Amino acid sequence: MKRFLIAILFITAAVMAMANGSDEETAKPIKLGGVWPLADITGEQASKAAQQAVEEINAAGGVLGRPLELIVIDSEFKPDKGAAALERLATVDKVDVFIGGMASSVHLGQIPTLKKYKKLTVWTGAASHLAEEAIGPDADWYFHLHPWDYNQGEGYVIGWNAISEKYPQIATERWFMAYEEGAFGSPSFDASVAMFSDMGTIDGDSFTSAAAGGGDYTAVLETAKAYKPDIFLWAGYAADALPLMEQSKAMGFAPPLYVGAPPGWPADFGASELAENVTLYGMWAPSISDISAVGKKFTDGYTEKYGALPATYFAPLGYTVVYVVAEAIERAGTLDTEALIKAMEETAYDSPLGETITFTPSNIIKHQGLRNQKILQWQNGRQEVIWPFEYQTAEPVYPFPGWDNR
Amino acid sequence: MKKRLIITGGAVALVLLILLFLWKPTVVIYGVQRAGLYSAIAIPMGLVLGIVHIVNLAHGELMMVSAYLTYFLATKLGMDPLLALIPAAVVLFGFGILIYRLTISHTLKAPELNQLILTFGIAIVLVQAVNLIATSQPRKLSVDYVTASAKMGEVHFGIYDFVFVALAVAILLGLQWFLKKTKTGRAALAVGQNPKGAQLVGINVDRTYMLVFGIATALVGVVGGFFLTKQSLFPAVGGPFTMKSFALVAMAGIGNLPAIFFAALGLGVAEAFISSFQGYGGWAHIVFFALIIAVILIRSFRGGK
Amino acid sequence: MTGKIVKSTVLIVLLILALIFPMIAGPYPQSIMKTVFVYMALALAWDILLRSGQLSFGIAGFYGLGAYASVLAVTHLNLGGVSAVLFGGIFSALVALLLGLIILRLRAMYFAITTLALAEIFRVIIRNWKGFAGGPDGLILPSVVFDGAPVPSYLLVLGVVLIVIGASEFVEKGRFRFALTAIRNNEIVAKSRGVNVFTTLLKAFVLTSGLMGMAGAAFSQLYGFVTPENTFSADFTLLPLAMALLGGIYGTWGPVIGSLVLGIIAEYLKLFMPYGHLIVYGIIIILVILFMPRGFVGLIRDIDTRNRSGKGEDTKTSSSKEVPA
Repeated sequence: MKRFLIAILFITAAVMAMANGSDEETAKPIKLGGVWPLADITGEQASKAAQQAVEEINAAGGVLGRPLELIVIDSEFKPDKGAAALERLATVDKVDVFIGGMASSVHLGQIPTLKKYKKLTVWTGAASHLAEEAIGPDADWYFHLHPWDYNQGEGYVIGWNAISEKYPQIATERWFMAYEEGAFGSPSFDASVAMFSDMGTIDGDSFTSAAAGGGDYTAVLETAKAYKPDIFLWAGYAADALPLMEQSKAMGFAPPLYVGAPPGWPADFGASELAENVTLYGMWAPSISDISAVGKKFTDGYTEKYGALPATYFAPLGYTVVYVVAEAIERAGTLDTEALIKAMEETAYDSPLGETITFTPSNIIKHQGLRNQKILQWQNGRQEVIWPFEYQTAEPVYPFPGWDNR
Repeated sequence: MKKRLIITGGAVALVLLILLFLWKPTVVIYGVQRAGLYSAIAIPMGLVLGIVHIVNLAHGELMMVSAYLTYFLATKLGMDPLLALIPAAVVLFGFGILIYRLTISHTLKAPELNQLILTFGIAIVLVQAVNLIATSQPRKLSVDYVTASAKMGEVHFGIYDFVFVALAVAILLGLQWFLKKTKTGRAALAVGQNPKGAQLVGINVDRTYMLVFGIATALVGVVGGFFLTKQSLFPAVGGPFTMKSFALVAMAGIGNLPAIFFAALGLGVAEAFISSFQGYGGWAHIVFFALIIAVILIRSFRGGK
Repeated sequence: MTGKIVKSTVLIVLLILALIFPMIAGPYPQSIMKTVFVYMALALAWDILLRSGQLSFGIAGFYGLGAYASVLAVTHLNLGGVSAVLFGGIFSALVALLLGLIILRLRAMYFAITTLALAEIFRVIIRNWKGFAGGPDGLILPSVVFDGAPVPSYLLVLGVVLIVIGASEFVEKGRFRFALTAIRNNEIVAKSRGVNVFTTLLKAFVLTSGLMGMAGAAFSQLYGFVTPENTFSADFTLLPLAMALLGGIYGTWGPVIGSLVLGIIAEYLKLFMPYGHLIVYGIIIILVILFMPRGFVGLIRDIDTRNRSGKGEDTKTSSSKEVPA
């Protein structure tokens, strides 16, 4: 008994030893602290692309004559771990800026900590409007790159209106949305329904994403087929893409426009013959290299450094966030938060996503970066940009060819 | 008495199924297909639980590993996945034996909980190892035959998924034959019912456990290969199926393999039925779990456990 | 006699250390400890029911109910953070009381799978209940407990853990302990000795679930939100189970040590190995089960007895596979 109590004491001592680690002098490099879920492809690639940007900037002489240093901690997709990571970055690593972000629930758990430190925070993920509500209107140190869920919906309305104006043969009247029942699909359906008063009619039904143990889309596809939509839109995850399309084919469901809105696509999706002329929503595609020099520099650099094309748009977001912050520090000439916020507000960064990043108010917060997703289409194994027209890389193919004549 | 009950119950179920088919044909078609997948995965778990008496929390993860193996065999060597699943299943058999020898066999005398947490640890290692090798990006093989379809009047539906029903029935019949007709199988059954007694009559219990675990792993490996043709792969894909299988096995009653198939049939059709009402798909899971609780409770009130 | 004095001294020292921890450690270790404490509460609460032989897989379910109840209590009943934590615990306990009346006739695996199914049902109901319970989006609090002040929020979770430890120690003493152990060993014998099996199980189930609910409530008050997928995550079932087992089950100190060790190892690992640390975590679980089947506490006890009986040398390693009944 005695020994075992002493053992407890030892463990306790180990806990105490974790108490505040390094007391370094004011370190030379400017430190960026990043938090992403590193076991997931989104966070893994975002952090790697951020590292790529840091190395590029350092090779070009750094910022204010000082090198950048990126310290990344895994959020493990857990809110408490995401918050603890911020605490460590703030107090042990003593970073100057917080970057990172993927998954709204992790972010919700981090917001109390962010509010405690009020450091310059530039976020690449978290689309939920609840996160915006939790941040609130007063957080002038908070910059959100990723569109909010409602931004994306608004973007589509603008996009499809523009497309049907330019290509009158494309019918956009009757919509059917198949959405996954969780935190991603369900709110986007609600947001879409709310917007559809000025844009045709919409109906929808939910399914369980393969990512959550589902993978049977027959019920939702039956409903969709009976509805005979002009546009069939599904909002699920990458794992749903091909099984959903295969079931559509098996059930003989080939609407004039087949649109997918997953946050990423499965590996080698483009190689499948079913992929041809599927329309999709996305922030980025490798084809952006055709129209953007920054996009080309990013894509080529990433591919060279890590041996594969980036697979998710979180990679260019991770790259973008580092450049946006570096340029703001350069403009501010100091790491003082007030000055940094001012400099961030003047951001006009020509990003690898195509868009020039600027920060303007959204529903609640003052500094929202991106708003729209692009409308793209798979053509010959590549995602081509259809809209916004200024980034267009190919003409849309319409209508969606049937499944059998491929 | 019991036989009569089963026959009446079966007849009533059949009539209900036919009526349902007349009303909503797709519900029956898709429900049966779903049941095929569920039971094909669950039956090997039921085998392990019935004979080795461990709940293998790495069950779905083993299926995932086999599916990845099949995937890489298929993409790197250009094999058809349904061919590639044969070597994959053989590897899985060896892998099952290895897992049994290295880990499970050392915990058999420990309380159930230890085996549970042990297999939970194995599940974590499998998922994370695959995550490191293959990343979390989903993968899917595109094969033509999965979109095979049939028309029945107005109804146009996929028929490939019936392959899971066939697979489940084949696994079930194969196992029944193995357990009832072969010497090793009868020994395994004896071990499952009474390990100490089996030991006394000279059956090598440890070797039987190892063999059964290996067979179950190989079977779930075969299912993994089929799974890959139909569904996307990602490291966490197996987890939910571990849970569903466990639920099905408990609903069927431990040691009763055919009942797993019928439990899956009931659940699959019930889920498809709820999902067929627009806007109520989200409640289908409740049906799954509520039915399981109901069956377990009813059985307990009828006197069993 | 001296044993008792040593024990109380150590406990008092530990308690003081836990109390002054925020003063000697920075925000980061405090943040880690908050997570550890939540898992500690879950692992220990779960162990209390396990002492009766009933294995619950529904930790995440009652944890999540408590979390949701406490958030709704703040937004709808205007309760303060601390009372909302208690409210969450009471709510989970009440639900457990109602359900326990029905499901506590089940045993072993059938009880386990039923609790697991219940947890899933809670999650699906909440996900489909859009207005009141927030649906798939979840709910947020207008502000977190104590406005995020680190020391009071640390003390809040510590308080929850102390309540759970207190409950566990209370259960360890006297007639209740006897009843639980008797049921675990042999229900029929327990009955013949005058133990009311059903009432005892119901009490333990309600207590366990209430404590789990309190842990969930504390977590949601600290981080200010609940979502169906996160709050009912299977992690809240499986990790506490693993922690309790690694520490050693059927007692207070096993789960306490298990959650401390595993919680801290997980955090250290992550810093040394940003990509792929979870694989090591899994390997640790496997190794501990294989080589320390009775957990840390069992291992320490083994060494303790061996030394006391005069044999200093390591004569047998992990020979004792059975947990003391």
